[in-house]
Parts: sequence; structure tokens; C-alpha cells
Amino acid sequence: MDKFLYLISEGFKNVWRHKMTTFTAVFSLFLSLYFVGLLAIAGENTKSILEYLRSKYKFEVFFKQNVEFEKAKVISQSILNIKGVRSSTIINKDDAVRIFKDQFDEDIISILGYNPLPISAVVNLKRKSNNILETSPIVEQIKRIEGVDEVRYQGLLIKKIERTYAKIMKYFPLIAMIFIIIAVLVIYNTVKLSIFSRKELIESLRLIGATRLFIKMPFVFEGLIDAGLATLIASPLIIGTINGLNYFMNNFTSWNVKLFISPTMFLWLTLLSGTISVIGSYRAVSNIMR
Amino acid sequence: MIEFQNVSYTHNKGKGVNNLSFKIEDGDFVFLIGPTGSGKTTLMRLIYFDLLCNSGTVKVDTFNSESMRIKNIPQLRRNIGMVFQDYHLLEDRDVFNNVALPLHVMGYSSQEIPYRVEEALDLVGFEGKRSHYPNELSGGEKQRVTLARAIVKDPDIILADEPTGNLDPVAAFELVQLLETINNNGTTILMASHNYNLIKGRGRRILELKDGSLRGS
Repeated sequence: MDKFLYLISEGFKNVWRHKMTTFTAVFSLFLSLYFVGLLAIAGENTKSILEYLRSKYKFEVFFKQNVEFEKAKVISQSILNIKGVRSSTIINKDDAVRIFKDQFDEDIISILGYNPLPISAVVNLKRKSNNILETSPIVEQIKRIEGVDEVRYQGLLIKKIERTYAKIMKYFPLIAMIFIIIAVLVIYNTVKLSIFSRKELIESLRLIGATRLFIKMPFVFEGLIDAGLATLIASPLIIGTINGLNYFMNNFTSWNVKLFISPTMFLWLTLLSGTISVIGSYRAVSNIMR
Repeated sequence: MIEFQNVSYTHNKGKGVNNLSFKIEDGDFVFLIGPTGSGKTTLMRLIYFDLLCNSGTVKVDTFNSESMRIKNIPQLRRNIGMVFQDYHLLEDRDVFNNVALPLHVMGYSSQEIPYRVEEALDLVGFEGKRSHYPNELSGGEKQRVTLARAIVKDPDIILADEPTGNLDPVAAFELVQLLETINNNGTTILMASHNYNLIKGRGRRILELKDGSLRGS
């Protein structure tokens, strides 16, 4: 028991004895965890950002002049039945005049003596889809409905957004993988270097008859402490960064998106840094003792 | 007991030791002399199994190179105290903790360790300075601490590889006297040196190495 407590206390003491090495190790661990954490949050939030953008997709469907309100309701229902459509809101002729006045500051009835604006409908699309949202088939189906005169929408912008999302979803796993590999290598090599700088200690322990486990344990504990410290520093900074981004987006842009952080991500970060530190420490000491 | 039977070892870059045969009985004090590069350190390393011989047999107490397993080497080393020319003290811990290290390795209780460390430091005549770090000590003081670290675990054998190499003549003389005192308590001592003046006239057995071969005993 005394031996085990000694090995744990040596792990803590080594952190204190080698402050500069610890600082270097913790700093590079922290940097790696910080960027991996942000990447994970970006991955988690990509979909919600896309859903937010999709909520802004809007089709304006103008009905023929002879379409009355009752008929418009039937057409609107037909539009709602199309796959991918979330809502269809009828804009009657009076509403259309009001909207015209709001936008152009002119009363069209007093200019022309009659209301030329047709009944129309504003159509929103369903947001939740993992695949690219194809708008053309929806537009074609709407156009085929009897009584529909014209469909206006931001086709190019929607296509651009959907294509960008598709690209992100295609390359994100690869980018994430590369990022994680870099982080793993940085953590692993930092731990290795910090142990290589104490070759003399390992050599002395070997000469006085320490077993391999006795030599390795303090380094493994030290690695765990470094990983814990790095996670403790990285976690509030990640939360701060995301809160700052949310504040910026809500106060200085028209984006009404709130990025969220999954608490389990911090568990994963702790596990990642802890596991790599332990493996790195263990292997580095083994290499020196070989 | 240390016994070499036709032991040879060659380093990757050549040199080493050739066909060594000798026996050191329990409680002996033996000097190992020879010029630099004659194989003294190689011989020492073969004793504590830092090197494994290419041919022949090395026997140290109950350990035999023919049947030795790697996992048993720490067990052997716990029974050997080592003193080196360049001290091998850990710069990041004080005198007390340097001397206490072998006791932690051997699993002594935290109550017993301070007592044994004090005893070892007293035995080598190291006064005060328990909390000093190696870089705050003179060469002679460092070597006393190294010796204290070697004897604190009460080993059967002490291997001293050029322990006086960095010491002034007075400190070197005192160190050999200390080793003799320890030997009087029954510890086997093998001390390598190329300073013949220091060891002559002491009435001890001398092994002479030249070019890796034993020239005289």
C-alpha cells in the first residue's frame, strides 16, 4: 500500500518538480483539445445551422387572377400535400395590397383604380433532411397545379447552400479524422518528449532494481494529471468561445442561431487526452528501458 | 559471491571482454584495475546484468546468466549497491530522497525509511544538508550520498565503478576507507579504478584487466 501511495505521490511530485516540462505538455495538450473540441461542436451544430437556413427558404406562389379565395384554399392544400412542403400560407388580395404598400410606399388601388394583385401563397419547406433538399421537383409540382400562375424563389441561393452542406458532410469526417490524428500525434509526442527528458531518472531506477511497473507508474499518473489539467483549462475556454460566438451572432448579425455544446463532448475529450497520455507515457518509458 | 566462467562480451563497435574467469567470495574486497577502455565497466555491467554475456557463465549469488530471466534482473539488482564516477544522483530531488529511493523500490514502509536513510548517511559521514540538492554539494559530498544510497538497502555486494575519478586525493582516500569500513561488516566490494597509487599497499586482491582480458589476479 505504501508503495502504491508512493507511486501516486511521485506522479504529483513530478508535475511540480518539472514545472517547465509540465507546462509545455499541458499547453500542447490544451491546444489540441481546444481545437478538437471546437471541431466536435462544429460537427454537432452543422445540421442545426442548415435547418436554420432552410427555415428561411421561401417560395412565393402567385395564383391566376380568376382564382377566388375558396379555390385558393384548395390549391394551398394541394401544395401542402407535396412531399417536402412544411407550410403554405395564403396571402389574399387585401393582404397583397398592404404588403405592396409596406414595400413600395404606394397605394396601388389609388394609382390604378383597382387591385391587380393576385392571391398568392408563401410556401416553406421541411427543414429536417440529411440529404440535399431538391427544390426543382417541388417547384415543378406546384407549377402543375391548376390555378397556379407563377412560382418565385431564390433557387440559386438554395442550391448553393445545399451544395455547400453536401460538401461539408462529405469531407467533414475526413477533416475531423486528420485533425484528431494530428491532435493524437501532438499529445503522444509531447508526452514522449517530456519523458525522454528524464531518461536519467529511468536509468537510475533500473540500476537500483526497480521493476518495469514501478518505473512506469509515476509517469502514467503524471500523464493523467497533465491530461486532466489540460481538459480543465480547455473546457471553460471552449464554453467561453461558443458563448462568445452565440453572443456575436445574436447581437451583431441577423442570424438567430444558438450553437449548443453537448456535455458528453467533455467526457470524450477527457477520455481522449487521458488515454493517449497513458499510452504515450507507457510506451515512452518502455522505449527507454528497451 | 561473484563468479565468471570463460565470459566473453563484444560491444557492437568491437572491444569488450574476452574469456574472463575469476571468483570473488562473499565478504571479499577486490580492486579491479586497468587503463581506460580495458573493459572494467563492461565487466561491472555484466555483473549487474546490464549486459548479457555472449558466451560463458556469470554467477552472482543465486543468479546464473544461463538461466536468468529478464524479469528477475530487478531482484538481483536490489542486492547490489552501485557507485559511479559521475554519481548518478537525481538532480530533481534532495539528498534524503535520493538515498530513500532504493527503499521505496524495495517496498519499505514510510515509517522505516527515514530511520534507515539517517543511518546510511551517518555511516558515510554525511553531516547535515539532508534537504540539499545534488547541485549544491561538492564532489566528495555527492559521492558520499551515492555511497549512502548504495548501502541503505543493506546489499550483499557493492560495485564501485571509478568512484574516485572525480574526487581530490583526500576525498578519494576517505572514500576507499569508507568502503573498507563497509566491507568489514561483511559486504562484498568490487571497486574499479585506474589509480594504482590509491589501492596499492592495502593488502587487497587486485584483478588487472588489459584489452578486455584478465592479466593478473
